[in-house]
This record gives sequence, C-alpha cells and structure tokens, in this order.
Amino acid sequence: MDSKSLMINYTHRQAGHCESGATSNLYNFYGYKMSEPMAFGIGTGIYFSYLPFIKLMFAPMMSFRNLPNTVFRRSAKYLGVDATVIKKFSNVKDSMDALDRNLGKGIPTGVQVGVFNLTFFPPEYRQHYNMHNMVVYGKEGDLYHISDTVMEHPQTLTYEDLVRVRWAKGAFAPKGKMYWINQMPKELDIKKGVELGIKKSVYEMTKVPFWLIGIKGMKVMGRDIKKWPKKHGNQKAAFYLGQILRMAEDFGTGGAGFRYIYGAFLKESGQKFENAVLLDAADLMGRTANKWREFTYIGARNCKNRSSQPEEDYNTLGDMMLEIAGMEEQVFKKIEKVKI
Amino acid sequence: MENSNPVYKDKSYGQYREMLYSYDENGNFEKSVSYHGEPDRVVLEQAWDLFNERAEEAKQKVLAGKVSPIAYYMEKILADPMGLSMMAGVPIWKVKLHIKPFFFKRLNDKTLAKYAEAFNISMEQLKNFEQLTGK
Repeated sequence: MDSKSLMINYTHRQAGHCESGATSNLYNFYGYKMSEPMAFGIGTGIYFSYLPFIKLMFAPMMSFRNLPNTVFRRSAKYLGVDATVIKKFSNVKDSMDALDRNLGKGIPTGVQVGVFNLTFFPPEYRQHYNMHNMVVYGKEGDLYHISDTVMEHPQTLTYEDLVRVRWAKGAFAPKGKMYWINQMPKELDIKKGVELGIKKSVYEMTKVPFWLIGIKGMKVMGRDIKKWPKKHGNQKAAFYLGQILRMAEDFGTGGAGFRYIYGAFLKESGQKFENAVLLDAADLMGRTANKWREFTYIGARNCKNRSSQPEEDYNTLGDMMLEIAGMEEQVFKKIEKVKI
Repeated sequence: MENSNPVYKDKSYGQYREMLYSYDENGNFEKSVSYHGEPDRVVLEQAWDLFNERAEEAKQKVLAGKVSPIAYYMEKILADPMGLSMMAGVPIWKVKLHIKPFFFKRLNDKTLAKYAEAFNISMEQLKNFEQLTGK
C-alpha cells in the first residue's frame, strides 16, 4: 500500500477560517453545497473568552472562536450526518496507520495539527497554536497531499513532517486527532440545523454563567484595557493591545474575529428562509464587524506611535470595546427567540 | 520568493494571500483574497520584534554565563518554562533549575535528549553553545 499512489478527487477551496473551511469542503466533497459561513454558523463557531490569568505568547489569552473541532462535530450532530471523530491516539504509528487506511478507502480525512513546525505555513504565523485544521486527501509514496484552507493552493507534507505537526506538544496538544464523514443522509435538514446552531450560539455568547465568557467577557476586557497603561506601563500595554488585534485579524479569522463570517451566515440563512429578523441581525452584525475593524485601525496606530497621553487613548479604546460588546449583545438579543 | 506584497518590503513574511471578508454599505458580505494590510503588519511586527529581542537578550546572558543555553533555545521556540515543560516532558520546577548553569552542567544525556528534541536541534548544539551558536 505504501508504494501505491492514492489520490482522492477532492476540491480545495480557500476559506477564511481553517476549520469551517475544512468542514464546508468536506460537505461539498460528499455532494452537498454548503458555504463556509453556513458551516461556521451551524457549527456554532462564534465565541468569545478572555482569560487574563493565562498568558499566551507573553500576553493575556483571548479567543474569538470555539474550542477546536466544535464546528465539525456540532454541524454533523445538528444536521444528522454520520461522522467519526477520534479524539486521541495512544501512539504515533496507530494514528498514521488509521490515516492511511482512510485514504485507502477514499475518505478525505481532517486532522488537527500544531502550526509551529508546519513547513508550508506563512512564517509569521508559526507560533504555538495547536488548534489548526487541515484535510489530508492523498498520498504518493512518502508525500501526503494536504488541503489547508488558509493557503491559496493545495500543499504537500512528508511523513515525518506530518507526524511532527500531528503530535505537536504543549497546550491543547492535538495527539493525532482526526475526523471524517462516513455517510451523508439523503436530505440535510438545514432549517433545523440553523435553529439549533443559533440557539446554542445565543447561549454561549450571552448566558454562560461565568463572567469571562461571551459578551460579559468582552465588557471585562473593555474595562481592563483602560487600566493597562497605568498597571503595566506603556510598552506592555501596547503589546497586550496588539494581542487583541492579532487574535482578531490574523490567524485566519476572515477578519474582525469571525464576526464577518457570522454575519454572512445570518444573511444567508435569512435569505434562504425569508426571515426578516435574521436579515436585520445580519446587518447589525456586519456593522459590528466594521466597528471591530475600526478598532483595529485605531489600535494599530496606538501600537505604532505611542502617544504622550496613553491613558486617554486607552480610555477611548476601552469605550469602543464596550460599545462593540453592546452592539453584539443586541444581535444576540434579536436572534434569541427567532422562529424560522 | 519574490515579495509582491506592497506593505512588506524587504521582509521574509507577508507573502501569502488570505481570504478576508468585508461588509459594505449596501449590506453585502464580500469575500476577497488579498494580502494583509498596514494595521496587521504593525501588530505582527510588534510580536516578532519582541520575540527576537528576547532571544537576543537571552543569548547575551548565556554568553556571559548567567543562564544556561536552555534559556536561549526556549526563547527561540517562543516558549516560557511552562510551555517548555509540556513540550519536553520535564517537570516545570526542573526546567526552572536547568535554566541555571550550575544545574545544566550536571544534566545527564537522557534529559538533554528530551530538550534537544523539543528544540528540534542536535545535542551537540546544546552542549557546545559558544562554538556553534554563540558567534
């Protein structure tokens, strides 16, 4: 089996976000046209958490997306798709053998990897981030063919390189996690999926009883931003601010920390089911996302030329964050009781 | 590779195009494949400047004999003692000790190999820091 070349006729499409892109590509492979925002929305990709007591790359940790593999797992569950997720393997050989077996059967398989040693990845993103997703769709001798939705074109990796990224160590270690679709039902009940997805997202963004998750977390962060220059000094405050912008804009978010993708999901489902409430919410989400981008512009200017009155600038930014939080809260209030 | 991104002149990064979404006044979500713009460059550079600065600082300290080579390579792979302890499979209190030259000199090959694997370098590089990396 090793010498044979196995290629699955899989179409690579670039997408904004690694996991929802991979999920939508997999659905497309099995003959169901699903756009990236749709997969992202049904899989409840949107999220916010702010964990200042954990330091990631020397700055407070925050996350704009759900835990890894949520999008694939939840979208499969809500749409009634028969999918398999293997959370972890006990050793390296098992994990690679299972992947080879799948490719032999003609199943494109998603894997979770760490990006630090990912050879084809843009060098500026090679930090310790173990929640990246890509799809393996072919093997030629020692070379694996990879569809990574962050990249414009399909890529290849050698066996050793693939082992190294699949077994990357550190926080959220992937441990060889892989997932694939076994079988699609005849008809996908998108309506039910959208309903369940929105319900779960509303819960996660507004109702989780913990003060650092969802809208509450954004408000805490907004208030914290104002304190940074006094507490940490100008230089460190600028770096912390940079962390928010990096997490929101870079690392394959599609811009504005996934808010654009979620807005596109609301709009697409609103048009599909002719629902005015969803269209209304989509417009507000789009404007919130534009506000995020404005925040990035002002914040980046602040990071570049540190002004003489940092506290005033950080006050403005903090207020802006609180305003954004308010706008997002309205979006989720709107779609909370929506009947499709 | 030729860097065709206008905002990243003379930089090794910024040569990949990504898909970005946007929202216009007519209420349409648009997708476009493009390079990152100026604000993203500022914050990315800020991060890499800090990482390189920290590594350079650690290098000087190693050459002065204040800390062990582990401290330099730890900065090089962008980790803190906690992260390194997870990556190398060595308890964090031991990692903190091994950063001190006194304890580093007494390390056995088995533990050194663990570190070398985490850093993705050879054991020789860890042992002969001054000859191989210092200059």
